[in-house]
Amino acid sequence: MRVDRIFCDLPTSALQAFENIKYATAYPKGAVLFVEGQAPRGIFVLCKGRVKLSICATDGKTLILKIAEPGEVLGLSATVSGKPYELTAETIDPCQVNFVKREDFLRFLKDQPDACFKVAEQLSDKYNNACHEVRSLGLSHSAGEKLAKLLLEWSSKNGEAAKQEPRLKMALTHEEIAQMIGTSRETVTRLFADLKKRQIVQSKGSTLVIRNKAALKLIASNN
Amino acid sequence: MESAIQQSCFECVLRPDRLFCDLPSDALEAFDLIKSLTLYPRGTILMREGQPARGVFVLCQGRAKLSVCSETGKRLTLRIAGPGEVLGLSASLSSSPYEVTAETLDNAQVAVVKRKDLLHFLRDHREACLQVVHLLSQDLHTAYDRVRSIGLGRSRRSRAPRLH
Repeated sequence: MRVDRIFCDLPTSALQAFENIKYATAYPKGAVLFVEGQAPRGIFVLCKGRVKLSICATDGKTLILKIAEPGEVLGLSATVSGKPYELTAETIDPCQVNFVKREDFLRFLKDQPDACFKVAEQLSDKYNNACHEVRSLGLSHSAGEKLAKLLLEWSSKNGEAAKQEPRLKMALTHEEIAQMIGTSRETVTRLFADLKKRQIVQSKGSTLVIRNKAALKLIASNN
Repeated sequence: MESAIQQSCFECVLRPDRLFCDLPSDALEAFDLIKSLTLYPRGTILMREGQPARGVFVLCQGRAKLSVCSETGKRLTLRIAGPGEVLGLSASLSSSPYEVTAETLDNAQVAVVKRKDLLHFLRDHREACLQVVHLLSQDLHTAYDRVRSIGLGRSRRSRAPRLH
């Protein structure tokens, strides 16, 4: 699996050095890897399972930035810069994680130019994602538009995009979807009911079928 | 800005204070060879969101406004970049389109480095690569701050004036 993962596909010498500093750990579902505002202890390389990354307002409102997939390195920018973790990371599956302490990781980066380059690539990816998030939060008109965008994005990820009626597995609850697009749970439920009524989507158990992609695209493009 | 354009990074007095520019001399020498110094008047678009990344822009003098745009043309300012900052870094490294638009706010002196040259340079000079990792971490930190303030901080009504 190493080959197609940005960070893990390292030359043997670097991999050897990484083996020596990592702690392989397993976490159950719902475990918190790190909390926003905490001083950075180190990085977490996600080997197996998925992790929810979120930020929190002082009033307790939560915004989910991303669902991290295996191969992603979490806590990277905080560990490099020494600033507090910007996000909270919580497992949503049982996860296998490689933890590396901050001092060890910084030394590793200095000694292994290849790894340093990989880290730069990972950070670039994350920056890309953050800009995307700013754009969608700051410039979308309505929750309906954001939900349509999110569904189209998900459907484009798992190779269903080319199909006439893409299907996607709904891994998140309405509450969590609300936190991804910055709205309330009630609004998400209402929007889904509306989409179903207009025959744009249809749910079959935990699978959502996009019946009318053109209409969904229209909702996503403005409103 | 009328003063003669500084050719070599070695002559730059501001270099030690700047995160990216403060490199060991062999790296600096290599950087001098791949950069091309350009003066841009105020209001120039250095890079445009969505365009394939051609390279990076090191702001030697002057400031640039970074913004993102919706399909309908609404614009949101992310932040103002100051002298010493490197623009277009993440897009160049991941060979994806530029995430933001950068427009000069002053007459600016900019060192432009092509994408390919930059990648070679970073592979050959590990100090520079490490600086880049630090810069990207900082960029990411400010981007997350922006996400927080837009997504959680204010109501829709009060953030409306930020659009223009």
